[in-house]
This record gives sequence, C-alpha cells and structure tokens, in this order.
Amino acid sequence: MIDITDTFDTSDTSDTSGTSDTSDTSDTSYPNPVSLFRFLIRRLLLTIPILFGITLLSFVIARAVPSDPIVANLGQRAMSDPKIVAAFRAEWGLDKPPHEQYLTYIGNLLQGNLGKSIKSRRPVIEDLKAFLPATIELAASSILVGILMGVTLGVISAVNRNRWVDHIARFISLIGVSLPVFWLALVLLFVFYSRLGWVAGPGRLDPGMIAPPRLTGLMTIDATLAGQWSTLGNALSHLILPSITLGVFTAGLITRVTRSAMLEVLGNDYIRTARAKGLHERMVILKHAFRNALVPVVTVIGFSFANLLAGTVLTEKIFSWPGIGSYAFQASTTLDFQAIMGVSLLIAVIFIATNLVVDLLYFVLDPRMRKT
Amino acid sequence: MRIQKLSMLAVCTALVLAACAAPPATAPTSAPAAPAATTAPEAAATEAPAEAATEAPATDATTAPAAGAASTIVIAKAEDTVSLDPGRAFEFVPGIVNKANYQTLVTFPPENASEIKPLLAEKWEISADSKVYTFTLVTTAKFSDGTPLTAKDVVFSWNRLKNIKGNPSSLSGNIASVAAPDDATVILTLINADPSTLALLVNNAFSVVNSEAVKKQGGTDAADADTTDKAEQWLNGHSEGSGPYILEKWEPKVETILVRNPNYWGTPAPTERIVIRNVEQVATQKLQLEAGEVDVAMDLTADQVPSLKSNPAVSVYEATGNVIFFAYMNADKTIGGPVSDPKVQQAIRLAIDYEGIKALVGGKAATPASVIPIGFFGAYGEDKALKRDVEGAKKLLAEAGFEKGFEVDLSYPDFDNSGFSFSTGAQKIQADLAEVGITANLKGSEVGVWLEAYRQGQLPFSLSLWGPDFSDPGNYLEFMPEKKVGLRANWKNDNSSKDVQDLRDKALVETNPDERAKLFGQIQDYFQQNGPWVPFVQSGVQVGLSAGLKGFVYNSQWNVDVALLSK
Repeated sequence: MIDITDTFDTSDTSDTSGTSDTSDTSDTSYPNPVSLFRFLIRRLLLTIPILFGITLLSFVIARAVPSDPIVANLGQRAMSDPKIVAAFRAEWGLDKPPHEQYLTYIGNLLQGNLGKSIKSRRPVIEDLKAFLPATIELAASSILVGILMGVTLGVISAVNRNRWVDHIARFISLIGVSLPVFWLALVLLFVFYSRLGWVAGPGRLDPGMIAPPRLTGLMTIDATLAGQWSTLGNALSHLILPSITLGVFTAGLITRVTRSAMLEVLGNDYIRTARAKGLHERMVILKHAFRNALVPVVTVIGFSFANLLAGTVLTEKIFSWPGIGSYAFQASTTLDFQAIMGVSLLIAVIFIATNLVVDLLYFVLDPRMRKT
Repeated sequence: MRIQKLSMLAVCTALVLAACAAPPATAPTSAPAAPAATTAPEAAATEAPAEAATEAPATDATTAPAAGAASTIVIAKAEDTVSLDPGRAFEFVPGIVNKANYQTLVTFPPENASEIKPLLAEKWEISADSKVYTFTLVTTAKFSDGTPLTAKDVVFSWNRLKNIKGNPSSLSGNIASVAAPDDATVILTLINADPSTLALLVNNAFSVVNSEAVKKQGGTDAADADTTDKAEQWLNGHSEGSGPYILEKWEPKVETILVRNPNYWGTPAPTERIVIRNVEQVATQKLQLEAGEVDVAMDLTADQVPSLKSNPAVSVYEATGNVIFFAYMNADKTIGGPVSDPKVQQAIRLAIDYEGIKALVGGKAATPASVIPIGFFGAYGEDKALKRDVEGAKKLLAEAGFEKGFEVDLSYPDFDNSGFSFSTGAQKIQADLAEVGITANLKGSEVGVWLEAYRQGQLPFSLSLWGPDFSDPGNYLEFMPEKKVGLRANWKNDNSSKDVQDLRDKALVETNPDERAKLFGQIQDYFQQNGPWVPFVQSGVQVGLSAGLKGFVYNSQWNVDVALLSK
C-alpha cells in the first residue's frame, strides 16, 4: 500500500500569499478536443509497457520468495507423495522452466486469459469478477464519506483559520489519519452493531436475506434493479460501518489537503478583489476560492480512491467483506502465482485509470492546462 | 456558516461516540435480524439423538418431516474451502460440509475417535494377513436423487480419489485395488498391511459419491483422472451423496448453504437449513454471536471465553483439540550441533515449563505425554506428562559437557494456530531455556519459507505442529526414524537405536488392538526419555453457542456434525 500522506505537504502555506501564481481560474470554457485526444492516446500507449513491466516484476518477485507453492498448497502427507507432487506441478505448469512459464502467461494474457488460481481452482478472471464488485461498492461509499467529511472540514477549517473551529477540525483530521483501521472497525462494530443494534454488522447482507439476481455484483444496484427494497435497505445498512471506517482515514487526508489549498488561494489578490467588489462571502469562498483550490484536492481524492480499491485487507477481514483485498492477501501467502499476477495487473490498471481521470479533471478545472 | 458549524459538531459527536469503548449499561433492545423462525418443533428436536445419525440409520423414514421446514442454524467460521469435491477437499470447512452431504463406509462415535462404527457398511471382515478387507453394505442406502447406493459407487469413488492425485489422494496411497463382486460387497486390497486402515476410511475423502451422476458431469475414475476428470466444478455447486443434507450453494468467501436431503434414507436431521458464513476474524465471530446473528462461533480463542461466560444469551463449549505443538532438535550433528546430543535433548525436555505454556494457550489445552494426542487410541493421559525439572536439566547439560551452556538458533513459523501463537510460545521457551543456561536466538519466518526449510531437514532446533491426517495413533509413526517427520529432524536408522526401530517396525503392522496398545505405550515411554521430540502443548477448542442451541458435539475428525444441531 502506498502511503499517500507522504506525497503531500500539508503545512500551512498561506504565509507565502502573493508569491504564488495568482490567476483566477474560475473559467467555464471547455477543453480543446484535439489536444485532449492527443493527450489521451499518448497516455493509453504508455500504459502498455507499464502493464508488461508489472507482469514481469510480479512474476520475478513471486518466484524470488524462497518457498514453493507445493509447500503452501499440499498437505504434509501429499507433499511426500511424488505422484501427487508431479500431478500438481503439471496441472499448474510448474514443471516448466521459469522463462517458459512467463512466456506462456504472456501468450495467454494477450488472448485475454489470466490463467487459473491454485487456491480457488477457478479462472482468475472469474475470481476477480466475483470479488471486485464488493470492493468497488465499499470503495465508492467510503470515498463518498471521505469527500463529504474531508472537504467540509477542510473548507470550514481554512475559513476559520486559527480559530477554535479550525483547531477542532485539524484535531479530527489528525485522529482520522492516525487511528489504526482495525481498532476503529472493531470499536464501531462493538458500539453501533453489537451494543446499540443501530446498523447491520459484518457481511454484505444478513444471513437469510435473499440476495438479488447478480447483474453488476454491486448489492445496492442489483437490489434496486430487482426492486428488492428491503434487501437494498439491508445492503446499505451493512455498508455504513465499513464505509465510515475507511472514510474517516480518507477524510483526514482530504481535510488537510483542502485546508492548505484553500488557505493558499484565500491569500490571493483576486480574492481580495472579489471581496472588494462586495460579493457575498459564501460566493467568494465557494465560487472563487474553492474552485481554485480543487486541483490538489482532486489529486488526493483520486489517489485515495485507487488505494481503497487496491486493498483494504484488514477492514475486509473484520467486516467479512468478500473483496479483492483478502483475495490478494490469500494469493500472496499461498504463492498462487497467476492470482498474484492477476491482482497486480488489476491494481495497476486501477491506478493508471484513476491517474488518467485525475489528469482529465485538471483539464476541466484549470484552463492553463489546456494551453500547454 | 451556522449550518457548517452544526455539521461539524455532528461529526465530532459521532467520532466521540465511536471512540467510546464503554458499552452502554443496557443490553441492545433489538437483537439485529435473528434468522427467521427459531423454533424447531419439539418432535424433531428431541428425536435426533446423536446415535441415530451416526449409526446405520433406520430405514423407514424416507421423507423429511414437513414440520420445522423453516428452521435455520447459522455457523460462523473462517472459510478455507478450496474445493467441495470429496476427491479434492482437504480443509476444515469442507470437512463439515461433506460430513453432512456424504457418507463413508465406517465412522467414529460423535465425540471422539476411540472406536470404529458402521455407517454405509453394516459389517466387515479382515483377512489373516490384514491385507484384504471385505465390506458388506447396507442395502437401504440411497443418494439424494433417489438412486440406490451400491458397491460400484464405492469402487468408483475410491478409484477416483486415488487417480485424481489431489491433496487427499495421499490417504489412498496404500490401496492396491477395490472390487465389487456384487451390489452389496466391496473388497479392498491393500499394498501393505496397515492397522490404521479403518480409521483412514472414516475420512471424508473416502465419501461415496453417486457414480452415475458424477460421470454425467464429466467425472471419471480412470488412471488419468488427474487430467481428464471434469466433475469438480459441478460438485462445488451440487452434492451427489447420501448424507442427511444436500448442498444448496457455495458462494466462495461468503457462505455455504445446506438444506435437508428430502430423500435421506435415515432419520432426517432436525434442522432444515444450515448456513456456514465466512467470518474470518474471531473478534467478529464473537460480536455476531452476542448480537444473536449467528448460532455457532467456531473459531473462538481461549481469551474470549471469560467475557462470554457472563453472558446468559450464549454458552461456551470447551474441549481438548488434536493439534500437538512440539519442538524438535536435529539429530544430524553437522546441523544440530549441541542439540543433537541425546543428553542435551533430554535436558531440553526437562527445562520446558509445560504448565506455563498450557496457561498461555488457556481453555482446555493440555500437556500431552508424548506426540500422540490425549484421547486417541492407546494415548497416555495428561497424568503421565513430563514435569519441569530445572536441576535435572542442568545436571544433564553438565554431563554432556555444557555446564556453561551454549547458543543455538530456535526457528519457528510466525503464525497462530488453534489458539497458540508461535512467536509468544518461542519467547516462553527461550526464557525457559535461559534458566538452564541455553541461549536460544529466535528466528521467526513466514510460514511458507519456514516450511521449505523444515521439509528439507535444515533447521537445527525449531518449533512445529502436527494435526493428524486421520484419527489413529498409527499416524504418529511418522515421527519414527526414517519416517516423514523423523526425517525433518534427520532422525535415521544410522543415528537411532535398534530399540526404537524395532518398535516402529512392529507398530507399523500390528493389528491386534491389545498388542497395539502395548506397543504404543512402549513408544510413548521411549519418547519421554529419548529422541528429538519435545511435545509441549495440545490445543484447546472453544466454540461459542447461542443459548438455545442443542446437539453440539466437537469431533476432531469433522469438527461438528451439523445433522445433530437443533434449536
């Protein structure tokens, strides 16, 4: 997991007001389609070598571990039976030299085949399809919690700089980023599920609740499409605690970045001008300041979202959430090579796609980007 | 501005509430979503005694009772299922599932492995050379689709198990041939006489599958079944057995649902549906049990028990498990150094604070007298376990020329199993050894990495564990010289005594129960004084149950027989 807290300097930057770029970018014209198209093509082409690099890297790292999938997947008794070991190696292609294994993998990959998982004994693509929707659903609701809490606190805190409201908001964001996730998860479960009984507990649905027919794999969407309103309610209730657990951490990051970005913008001349024109304070903050502060905020939201998709093993385990994090964890501890590579590729695609979306948002948010 | 301030206050309040670990004084007023209809009808609940389901069942009851159709029991357990195909499954959850969906020729009593009882076979004969077993099948057994179960299904199932070459196929390695001279007779011929054969046949791997149905789904028992058998995917979604339940669905990492077999040939199970939910964290299992959302929490740890005992809505079932945790010392001088010396080995056995380790694990953990778990046929009880003797250990070390002690690396796999934390255990042993002057440098590694070194016999001094493949002391002959576990310690014929080799060779073939008990007694006596093993604790089992749940019995072979559960 990449620690994105290191990426951002969250120190108070407003003291340098006037020295930074002071152009007001609250402009609503649209990006030039030609430059946007060229940008997209270039980025997509770059993706190909990155993905190949990822497969090679994860292949080499997984093989470099001084252990053997035989040990991780066969019982002690089976391990000492040469016939069983030979059948196992043949079934999973482990009887071939490594370079041949890699080339076979790449050959299959080019045909859209991610191979079979040793641990689940199913095609990796089936596993990803089975476990990814649960993760997407949780990541989406967590990032929503993170944005709502983080942006609100960040703006309030910047506007009330150095007042008590600001101190409290900063304290909350500090708690958000420093609380251990497993602790928060267990405390939330204990208080709101076990003791108060206000929300549903672990899992995506109560035992005995009939799952809607699987279309998207997202429980809330599938329940809505099937018109199963009580299932929808139950699914939403099950989403609350894990979303808060993950959302609080994300909110902590977003608060800090929003605050520092807002402070920087609020010190600019055009804000003074806007105020001098007699604009309503709410207008100044939301339209002139907030919009210009959005670029770093969007960046941190993008990274947070990718992180939430890429793996939240502890939260998934505590909430019995059948997501991609636990799958990846199991794959790596059992040297399930094809599953490891499948997950690595998926995570790489998620990060590349999120980055791309964030960059495209820069085009929308900052007109200066469009001129370059 | 006011709205913003208010919303922020709300957030603060929520966080403070969340951070407040102290529970409110009152119990929850609404236990969330207890599974529908909790009352099993009186009749069903009382007429499902343990014996009825495990003995060859009565033949007249062919349909499930209409009453009690809505009863459901929810079990929380960390799912480890790789496959539900009886020829490939080898984990704990499939053990529970397949015990309910399939049946074997012979079985154990519900609570232990002390004797062999009939199930699909009503009787059997063993040839004079102990190599040929002739089973007579009950004639009333039938599969869940109504087809009669016959000897050809047994032949298919066992040959398929052997030829699939999957994980459990190792249990069938001694089978020379299986034949069905008629519908009710199965003749099993072994390669070598093996006194553990009947205990082995209790394993779910030897479940009898509906051969016609499995063949229809691409199944085969041919010699090349490892590449040609295609029935696994079907068996992961449908059971083809004769047990009291059938598989409704398995959703990986979410849940496995069993429903009562309407065509069951024996006494129907009291509960209509069994839901086994994947709950990986034990803390979560406990919370769900307390909230009334699950009826059974399978994986509790001993430290969770005290707080549950004060809760009237739940009860705790405690038993001694069957996993033996042991230390071993490499018998090869070039690898083991000082710890390969028999006197040092005995000194280490005497230096360990067995009581202290047992207390660390808690619950019904026990100190075994040897590597054979308490409760197994022929095993000594805890009363015969070794006791700590620090002075005796120091004396032996001095005799071996190590009065000033020595330094050694103590390896261990860094994980927890059955309530025992290897890293905590290693620290305790390190402290115990320090008291007799031995400096143990702890070397913890990731399980896979450790296992590789363990298998190759490279570790001088290490902690390990053994969970039996089948519930018979014969499984522990693997600890003998030249045998699988023995070789991990490089314990071979050339560095072991003639006595222990004789014991090994006799125990491998002796089938008379009295003679076997005597031999295993001698083996245990020998291991208390000699050899590379220091078995220091036998696991405990803690299972949380909702107060109204009846019929729970822990069995080390299949964990729980869900056909006995009712509420």
